[in-house]
Amino acid sequence: MGKTLIIAEQSEVIRKGLIQIIGSFDLFDRIHEVSCNSNLESGIIRIDPEVLIINPLLIQPGLKEWITGFKNGKIKVAAIVYSLFDDEVIELFDEVIRIGDTTLKIKNKLSKLTTSPHGRKTLNNDSTLSSREKDVVRLLAKGLSNKEISEKLFISPHTTITHRKNITRKLNIKSVAGLIVYALINDIVSVDEMQEE
Amino acid sequence: MAEVIITGQMKLFDIINTEKRAMVLFPRFGIELGVGDMTVSGICKQKGIDLQFFLLMVNTFLNQGYFPDRKLKNVDVDMLLGYLAESHNYYLEEKIPYLQTLIGTFKKSVGHPAVLQLEKFFDQYIIEVKEHLAYEDETAFPYIAMISSFRKKTDSPAGPIDYSVEVFEERHNNIEEKLSDLKNLLIKYFPPAGDRYIRIKLLNELIDFEEDLVNHARIEDKVLIPVVRQLEQQVGLL
Repeated sequence: MGKTLIIAEQSEVIRKGLIQIIGSFDLFDRIHEVSCNSNLESGIIRIDPEVLIINPLLIQPGLKEWITGFKNGKIKVAAIVYSLFDDEVIELFDEVIRIGDTTLKIKNKLSKLTTSPHGRKTLNNDSTLSSREKDVVRLLAKGLSNKEISEKLFISPHTTITHRKNITRKLNIKSVAGLIVYALINDIVSVDEMQEE
Repeated sequence: MAEVIITGQMKLFDIINTEKRAMVLFPRFGIELGVGDMTVSGICKQKGIDLQFFLLMVNTFLNQGYFPDRKLKNVDVDMLLGYLAESHNYYLEEKIPYLQTLIGTFKKSVGHPAVLQLEKFFDQYIIEVKEHLAYEDETAFPYIAMISSFRKKTDSPAGPIDYSVEVFEERHNNIEEKLSDLKNLLIKYFPPAGDRYIRIKLLNELIDFEEDLVNHARIEDKVLIPVVRQLEQQVGLL
């Protein structure tokens, strides 16, 4: 699947300049540009980009809530900065592109954004369970079989087995008894819930 | 880590200094420390232990890659059974009770309900280990001792024998898997305990037990099973 970028910036010079530079990187298949905040939100929802580069001025006030909303989704948000902002504002973003950055620096920053949390790296290193994997652990702890879990979660038995393999790989715990202990430690299941079933 | 091959000329003192893991094997042969500069061959002579057999056990135990094929012809099955039974005794009488004590201390020291489940998990595991060992002690080993007596002509088959080392091999599942889960839970996930050292003590013992079981299983797979298969052929059971 192709990767998409949205650049939201009022200044045409800067917007076109960024498109020119980033277009040469081979990181994104499509780059969309937005010049004002009136059609920004609907554009983001429609296009569903991997990365959004935005001038923080476009979304003040209410910036914090706005950004947090996107971080819960999968969109990475970078700020394009050429005036003064509080550190507090800057820290809200996944990355900051400055007007003085060289082409190479911009490239490095954007590569990092496009490969980090749902790229290859996470598959090998991330040991936190997805919410679906947690569902599987919870039901296992309650004593359900693979088949029963598949029925309860409306997934195929094959998918359940894949989840179980991934859970074991991430946690280094093979046995169901071991997973129960893990689930209790991490409040995925409570002692009461386990006794219900 | 470089693998050390223990020889008859080595002093017990040097063995322990280079490979402390070997220490645990001495009691299984009735060897006690405090013997000064005694060498392996010296102590074996004194205790009436077959030197080659002792070296085979120690080296298979210590070295994963030690393939004793050449030496298998001379292995005395009864000695081997004696050694394995001693190991089982050590697990049942020493190791497991000590681990249970440590888990008990850990349980008191961690104020999280998950620790009760951990204890349950361990108790269940102990039952499995005991079943595994009991099967070997009560079914597999007596069978092997019996065919060994046929070979030595001190006894002869009274009727058809409904068992073979193949059955043993099939049933020889690994009992370390859950131990590794337990270890990983303690390393990665358990919340801090009031007693700062209890987790480390427990981990040390679990890692030691895990290693011991792996090595023990290797002796059964690489020495016991091939030797018994040979025996079965010799007494014409196959």
